[in-house]
Amino acid sequence: MSENKNRFLPYLREDRLPHIFCPGCGNGAIINAFLAAMEKADMDFDNIAMVSGIGCSSRIPGYLKCDSLHTTHGRALSFATGLKTANKDLDVVVFTGDGDAASIGGNHLIHAARRNINLTVICINNNIYGMTGGQISPTSPKGSFATTAPYGNLDTPFKLAELVAAAGASYSARWTTVQMENLVLSIKAGLKNKGFSFIEVATQCPTYFGRKNKLKTPTAMAAVMKANTVFKSAADRMSARELEGKIVVGEFANTQKDEFTENLERISVEKSGKKTLINSAYSTEL
Amino acid sequence: MIGDFKLIIIDENLCKGCHLCLFMCYKNVYAISPEVNKKGVQLPFVKFEERCTKCGTCEVACPDQAITVDLPENWWMNEDVNFNPLFTRHGK
Ligand SMILES: Cc1ncc(C[n+]2csc(CCOP(=O)(O)OP(=O)(O)O)c2C)c(N)n1
Ligand code: SF4
Ligand code: SF4
Ligand code: SF4
Ligand SMILES: [Mg+2]
Repeated sequence: MSENKNRFLPYLREDRLPHIFCPGCGNGAIINAFLAAMEKADMDFDNIAMVSGIGCSSRIPGYLKCDSLHTTHGRALSFATGLKTANKDLDVVVFTGDGDAASIGGNHLIHAARRNINLTVICINNNIYGMTGGQISPTSPKGSFATTAPYGNLDTPFKLAELVAAAGASYSARWTTVQMENLVLSIKAGLKNKGFSFIEVATQCPTYFGRKNKLKTPTAMAAVMKANTVFKSAADRMSARELEGKIVVGEFANTQKDEFTENLERISVEKSGKKTLINSAYSTEL
Repeated sequence: MIGDFKLIIIDENLCKGCHLCLFMCYKNVYAISPEVNKKGVQLPFVKFEERCTKCGTCEVACPDQAITVDLPENWWMNEDVNFNPLFTRHGK
């Protein structure tokens, strides 16, 4: 009976399953959360185009039965900006890792947020470079260990959801893979928001982050993540010291602002009437 | 259980044995099998089906799409939710 089949499988390229992710890697659950959110938001799966960079997390679109662009490291947002600008009727969703989005792609991230371009960005933050063997990323917590930090990380990490909110995104939130319900509702809100929507998902990489930091099993990682989670409303009343090592979850931006492609269309119509850039390029086909 | 109806199904071919389902289920429905299957995985199994409240969390939380919970009234299947009928209710 088709009713008795896992409800996410029909969206996935089943011939490629089981996927390449390690046992307990959060990437698989984030796929489910996205699909559940997409259904809740009443989106048309066929109108979605997914864009990703390079990394374990960036392999997600490859498992989904929709159009996708697997681009170069750090440039997912640049390709997504081009795609959305060329065809603003597409629902463009970006899957990007913490390394992909915040180190090599950091500038693309803040400027995409500043422009408030209508993309939904799901940033899979496992606090490490998973694909290349466990190097420190810009979000690795202070004191955490990695291949490139044998004595512990000395630097202060980025707080991505806050950074993106400050850069001008109209929606920005952080949740973890142990708060599935919140995560699904947040991705839904991001999909519905007409502007730059950023959902940071704190997740587990048991293979590299876990092994380097004495959290060998996925459940140990999930338990520590759950114990360290603080809701934003509570965090607002806590001191910086109390918040050390904590994961603050909640929404950091949820507003309405001018959107990049709308602005572009408005000016295009204003200056050139019906003869817009896209219309003239494809005039014979339209 | 009535006939071969099962509330929760775990797909042996997809499960990688991460045991996050045990962690995520707030009702402790699951337990770990002492045996290892041919893939070297200690599969979880449904030990206390009667405890299940059909919240659907384990289904979303399983990274390997290995869990199916038969629950139309599951929290994210609520009536206020609109689904893409092409892909969910009636298979592909
Ligand atoms: C231009 C370029 N520089 C470096 C690399 C090597 N590289 C591949 S993935 C990666 C980091 C991935 O980390 P992240 O984005 O956090 O993804 P994860 O694997 O953790 O999901 C790096 C540095 C590359 N592929 N291309
Ligand atoms: S290395 Fe880490 S991020 Fe990559 S698939 Fe394995 S657990 Fe996931
Ligand atoms: S969460 Fe999924 S993959 Fe992990 S043990 Fe449970 S059924 Fe298997
Ligand atoms: S549906 Fe909810 S209560 Fe039932 S097994 Fe899954 S997580 Fe546990
Ligand atoms: Mg990473």
